[in-house]
Amino acid sequence: MMSIKAFTLVSAVERELLMGDKERVNIECVECCGRNLYVGTSDGFVYHFLLEEKPLPTGTAAFTATRQLHRHLGFRKPVSELRAASALDRLLVLCDSCISLVGMRSLEPVPSGARIKGASTFALNENPVGGDPFCVEVCILSVKRRTIQVFLVYEDRVQIVKEVSTPEQPLAVAVDGHFLCLALSTQYIILNYSTGLSQDLFPYCSEEKRPIVKRIGRQEFLLAGPGGLGMFATVAGISQRAPVHWSENVIGAAVCFPYVLALDSEFITVHSMLDQQQKQTLPFREGHILQDFEGRVIVATSKGVYILVPLPLEKQIQDLLASRRVEEALVLAKGARRNIPKEKFQVMYRRILQQAGFIQFAQLQFLEAKELFRSGQLDVRELISLHPFLLPTSSSFTRSHPPLHEYADLNQLTQGDQEKMAKCKRFLMSYLSEVRSTEVANGYKEDIDTALLKLYAEADHDSLLDLLVTENFCLLTDSVAWLEKHRKYFALGLLYHYNNQDATAVQLWVNIVNGDIQDSTRADLYEYIVDFLACCSDQQLVWAYADWVLQRSEEVGVQVFTKRPLDEQQNIFNPDDVISCLKKYPRALARYLEHLVVDRNVQKEEYHTHLAVLYLEEVLRQRAASGGADPTATETQTKLRRLLQKSDLYRVHFLIERIQGAGLPVERAILHGKLGEHEQALRVLVHELGDTAAAEDYCLWSSEGQDTPCRQHLFHTLLAMYLQAGPAAPTLTVAAVDLLNRHATDFDAAQVLQLLPGSWSVQLLSPFLTGAMRGTVHARRTAQVALGLARSENLLYAADKMKLRGSAIWLSDQKLCQLCQHPFSEPAFVRYPNGGLVHPHCAANRQKAPSSPSPGSRT
Amino acid sequence: MRRPDAKVVLLGGASVGKTSLLRRYTERRFPDSVSTVGGAFYLKPWRSLHLSLWDTAGREQFHGLGSMYCRGAAAVILTYDVTHPQSLVELEDRFLGLTDSASKDCLFAIVGNKVDLMEQGREGNGGPHACPRSREVLREDAVALYKKILRYRMLDEKDMPPAEQMCFETSAKTGYNVDLLFETVFDMVVPMVLQHKAEEPVETVDITSQKPPKHTRSGCCT
Repeated sequence: MMSIKAFTLVSAVERELLMGDKERVNIECVECCGRNLYVGTSDGFVYHFLLEEKPLPTGTAAFTATRQLHRHLGFRKPVSELRAASALDRLLVLCDSCISLVGMRSLEPVPSGARIKGASTFALNENPVGGDPFCVEVCILSVKRRTIQVFLVYEDRVQIVKEVSTPEQPLAVAVDGHFLCLALSTQYIILNYSTGLSQDLFPYCSEEKRPIVKRIGRQEFLLAGPGGLGMFATVAGISQRAPVHWSENVIGAAVCFPYVLALDSEFITVHSMLDQQQKQTLPFREGHILQDFEGRVIVATSKGVYILVPLPLEKQIQDLLASRRVEEALVLAKGARRNIPKEKFQVMYRRILQQAGFIQFAQLQFLEAKELFRSGQLDVRELISLHPFLLPTSSSFTRSHPPLHEYADLNQLTQGDQEKMAKCKRFLMSYLSEVRSTEVANGYKEDIDTALLKLYAEADHDSLLDLLVTENFCLLTDSVAWLEKHRKYFALGLLYHYNNQDATAVQLWVNIVNGDIQDSTRADLYEYIVDFLACCSDQQLVWAYADWVLQRSEEVGVQVFTKRPLDEQQNIFNPDDVISCLKKYPRALARYLEHLVVDRNVQKEEYHTHLAVLYLEEVLRQRAASGGADPTATETQTKLRRLLQKSDLYRVHFLIERIQGAGLPVERAILHGKLGEHEQALRVLVHELGDTAAAEDYCLWSSEGQDTPCRQHLFHTLLAMYLQAGPAAPTLTVAAVDLLNRHATDFDAAQVLQLLPGSWSVQLLSPFLTGAMRGTVHARRTAQVALGLARSENLLYAADKMKLRGSAIWLSDQKLCQLCQHPFSEPAFVRYPNGGLVHPHCAANRQKAPSSPSPGSRT
Repeated sequence: MRRPDAKVVLLGGASVGKTSLLRRYTERRFPDSVSTVGGAFYLKPWRSLHLSLWDTAGREQFHGLGSMYCRGAAAVILTYDVTHPQSLVELEDRFLGLTDSASKDCLFAIVGNKVDLMEQGREGNGGPHACPRSREVLREDAVALYKKILRYRMLDEKDMPPAEQMCFETSAKTGYNVDLLFETVFDMVVPMVLQHKAEEPVETVDITSQKPPKHTRSGCCT
């Protein structure tokens, strides 16, 4: 078991000072109250000393005692007990079974001669139940068998308040409130002297050993148990602490928080109440008194008095920490909570936690260290400063003094072990990233974030980028130097960007793409730059790098203009400027115009025409390349057609001119259609292209959104075109039949019938005829239903009107107006729909109908 | 230090393995332990509560302390050694009386420890190092004792957890069933404590409500 130095033993009263050379005289009892020390001797004397304490730099103290008065009490018996009642300025002296009251300074018996007779021993109640400050409660074990008496002792009188008898002879007593803790001859009990109820604690054997009963705090006692145990018991009769293990022959016990001291014939042992471990052993022979007085522990032999001076708790804790006994140090510190003022304790405890944290840290016990740092609210810079170069040069941090640990830096701590060093750094990374967003970081976020950046960069950690793209407080100059040193140019760009130096950032990245500097962080850095510029609101910067991005890739590069955030699109870039910039890059230009026309739906003729022309040129170029033989429409051609169909803005004539003879019939038909020249358009499709499906399609999209007559007109035009060709062109006849059968409802059947050649069979046209009939019949029926509904509605109104006219109303001069209750004097009246009759002027005054007019009886 | 909400006490004869069970549970290891002097104490946070676990000394010398340790206990874990029938008999003869001071609705668990020895005895038949000891206490004996305890405490079997649930066989050495034992007991203690708290909001313990303990087994010297 490792020991700790909790107390030092110093002499207080030398034997010479006390009784000189009187060999046979022994010290019987001791009392200490403030600076007053009283000693009772076997020859009936009471000695009074004043103690003077001189603190020593080692944490202990030296005592000198100056002898004051001494007095013989007039008995030939020894003074067996002394107790001071400082509030009364009285010393209670037990001698020859009698407790006398004497003055604390004079040692004179009180003039009244008040005393308590027949006491074998007594105890003061340190937790008195009465509120009177001018008396003390004293409990005595009476010389009468099995009797206990409770007295109130005043300055010059005593008063008995209670007498209780016990089942066995009591041998020792301690008092707390109404509770007496008693050692009887075979067991310890708790006795409530107010109710008389008792509670057994545990048995012991008084013949084998002297009992010890010691109050150690509110409602708790310390008892000498079997097998050399120091047992704790509360007034409720339970034990809330594990026992401490003394030797078998303990004579006396005392408490000096958090320690329990015990005296036997050779040693003073010190146990902690916090973990029940023995902490210290002091050799001390022939001791026979061990007592604590308001925190001062006094031990005496029969010849001399000594004081056990506790080392300051802080010193004890520091000793424990110095020997790496973290757990014990923390237990001790926590235990000291209630003995130290709150403010002071918190400061001290935090510091201990931090020190303990560094001890764990140095042993690479990171989980424990983290918890300690966190609960100790460590200034994280203490930890950062262990790692060389991590704190920014501008940081004002200096380590706390006295230092929290003994390490200059990590190199010393790990003794150069790289693996350990890496572990420490990993821990610091995770710890910093955890605390940077907590309140621990307040006030030095720059230091933390800069340190974190450095650690990430050094370790090539992915979180470096996350750190830089989110809110951070990395200091620019320090971070720049560090990132350059570790060739983290991409990250450096992010740092510049975060510090509003986009131009520097972009230039750096461009250099990476150009291969001037090396950083492989992002394989798609070019695309990243394009995205970056697309979102960049600095117009000049975009223009500066527009050529560079377009030269690398027209399609991707143009995104700096086309992929701009929606909300700023309208104002920043003038499309005309962009277009003139893109002149050199036709594919980029086409993309940009597409973006304007299709995505942004810009209604400007120029762009539409320009785009159409670009498409057209591209189609023509492709045709020239493939020999003009490719019948399927290319992607560009599809785009062109779609544009020509959808847009109404481009210059149709201009395009028709361009397209003449280019062999693009479909496009030409669309253009004709745009001019309203449907017949011509259809002719192109039917005769030049010979594509009846396209013609049919044309009719459909051209009439989209138009009314029925317009659509009918188109279809009729197409039908006429088919029929015109006559039997010479059988394909067109078939097309005509198909057209009719497919679009029966898009024709005016009556008109069609007149156009059709008589030779066509009904069978041939039956789908058309059926469809047309169904359409007509449906229209007729719908009309009939509508008519019927309108009629019935009309009837309903007529019925309502009839009802309202109703039966005749008799008006006589006996009838009263329902509003003013006067008779009608004139024939004019107003009748409400609910039957109430009122004067016309009353109705005018009262806009609303009477809420519930009584139904007037009609005659 | 926070005041514990409830107390769980381990009782049983000397060397049945009370300390080892507790240390296996709290420290996850099986160290050599010396004979417990007096008693030891652990604080165990469990769900919303703080439970105090008392390890008592099994030696006759400390017998007198048992009653105080058991005072107000919410659960008592009676421990015996499966290879020593006498240790089960002792539970009834020596230790049951100590529980008179426990809480009225105190739970009981009966634990046969050292089952690892019993298995060794079975598997190592004939081997030179085979443990000579073997199982000598049957589980049924523990169940019977549990029922006897309920009768002794004048509790209705219907109101208490069934014997099958409260009789364990463990090995502190291998860790077998140790967590199950403690966690089963703790989980049963929690609702009891919460109910008590709800019923009596007073903080202090009223000693007048305690039954006067029996004086049949007192003292080492009388």
